[in-house]
Amino acid sequence: MTLRHASRSRSAIFAPLGDPGRATRVEQRLADAIRSGMLADGERLPSEQELASMLGVATVTAREALVALRNQGLVTTVRGRGGGSFVTRPKQSDESALQERLTHMSLVELRDRGTLYRVILAGCAELAAPYADELDAESLRDLLVDEGVDDVGAWRHASSELYLSIAALTQSARMTREVVRHEADFGVLLKLPLTSPEFRKATRVRHLELVEAIAAHDAGLARRAAQEQVAAAIASLVDLHAGVR
Amino acid sequence: MMADVRTATTGLEVAADEVTRFFERLFTSIELMQRAVQQRFAAGPVDTRGICDAVRPDVHALLSEGVVLGCGFVADRDALTDCSLYLAWWQGESQQLLGQADAPAGDPFDYTLREWFRVPLRTGQRHITGPYVDYVCTDEYVVTCTMPVIAGGRMVGVVGADTLAERMEEFLGDALRSADATLISDHGRVVVSADPQCAAGTLIEAPADRVPCGDLPLAVCLAHPA
Repeated sequence: MTLRHASRSRSAIFAPLGDPGRATRVEQRLADAIRSGMLADGERLPSEQELASMLGVATVTAREALVALRNQGLVTTVRGRGGGSFVTRPKQSDESALQERLTHMSLVELRDRGTLYRVILAGCAELAAPYADELDAESLRDLLVDEGVDDVGAWRHASSELYLSIAALTQSARMTREVVRHEADFGVLLKLPLTSPEFRKATRVRHLELVEAIAAHDAGLARRAAQEQVAAAIASLVDLHAGVR
Repeated sequence: MMADVRTATTGLEVAADEVTRFFERLFTSIELMQRAVQQRFAAGPVDTRGICDAVRPDVHALLSEGVVLGCGFVADRDALTDCSLYLAWWQGESQQLLGQADAPAGDPFDYTLREWFRVPLRTGQRHITGPYVDYVCTDEYVVTCTMPVIAGGRMVGVVGADTLAERMEEFLGDALRSADATLISDHGRVVVSADPQCAAGTLIEAPADRVPCGDLPLAVCLAHPA
């Protein structure tokens, strides 16, 4: 969304890194910012020199990071006057781009991000449960996809929307902004297993359980259902990871 | 004992009056936008530029009062000639236009199922949504007031305004505290309470002796019932 209060989080992107000389950390921070939409598609990145001085790293390190981002397709470099490095936000529904991202991720990083995401979503489900009124419950039910639907894009979209709605029900704007960020980043990867019909079927069961637990104000059950869904998605991603390596 | 109850009720009525005045003032400003939209539609087919020109003066006037975070007109599907879904809605200090907004997932934002849009269109009545976290437009915890716009016999969309929940506390806190009262929506959701432990957004069982705020979908009740 273009009108996000970007400035709040943007300053963190360009804050000096504690441990200079690490191109991968520069690369990862910028990649996260691009995937999560904090850096907008088509936006011009600071020059190598500017980037280096903002992040407190050597120019050669900034250059190395930009090359890596270019190889990942997250940055396009235009030469000459009016040139520079421009943000290229990947199309999120692009299957092969997601596979590619998974390949670039270590199993440790996958679990690391998975744990963070799982705690956040389970916490949201638990804290959302007391706040859902009848209309909220109806809106959540509207986000459950019918078993017969084979459109993977619709499944991904609906489950992302479901998690955002649950985050919003915590009544915390900061928590919701955090989940928006995670959804646009790691959350996209977590929807990769939805290509499997079996996974979709199991997801529907768990999502139904999650929504009904929230509708019934059962915080414990809501937490458990969210936990199980994320755990299952991570387990499935680990399998996919083993397959593509 | 009886005297106490009577005093408490009177206190609630005073608080309810204060709340009613606040929201009626807001809705009066929203009605100005409603009229501008109706007049524009009465003059023939409307496109995005036409609708923006029509509501912009009233939007800027309301925003400059400093009470609301954002306001404007949101078109019903295909009501405008050149855009299926469109928000002639301005928000923030920079008074930014939402226009064809995107949802966080990157798809165009389909607002037609949102409470603040769906309810007034269905009931034909004005509506107050929230407080709720609006993660698509403001990214903030807000209360949204909306009313339907009917032009040429059909619903063409809603006009409305977002106010930060924390500003509500500022505007209505004193009135509610002096009556030890809690302001709730018609879903029983707390908007502002004299009880600091009663958080905005909490769902409570609306007591039978609550006092309605005029014909608004709001009521006040005792924050600490005996």
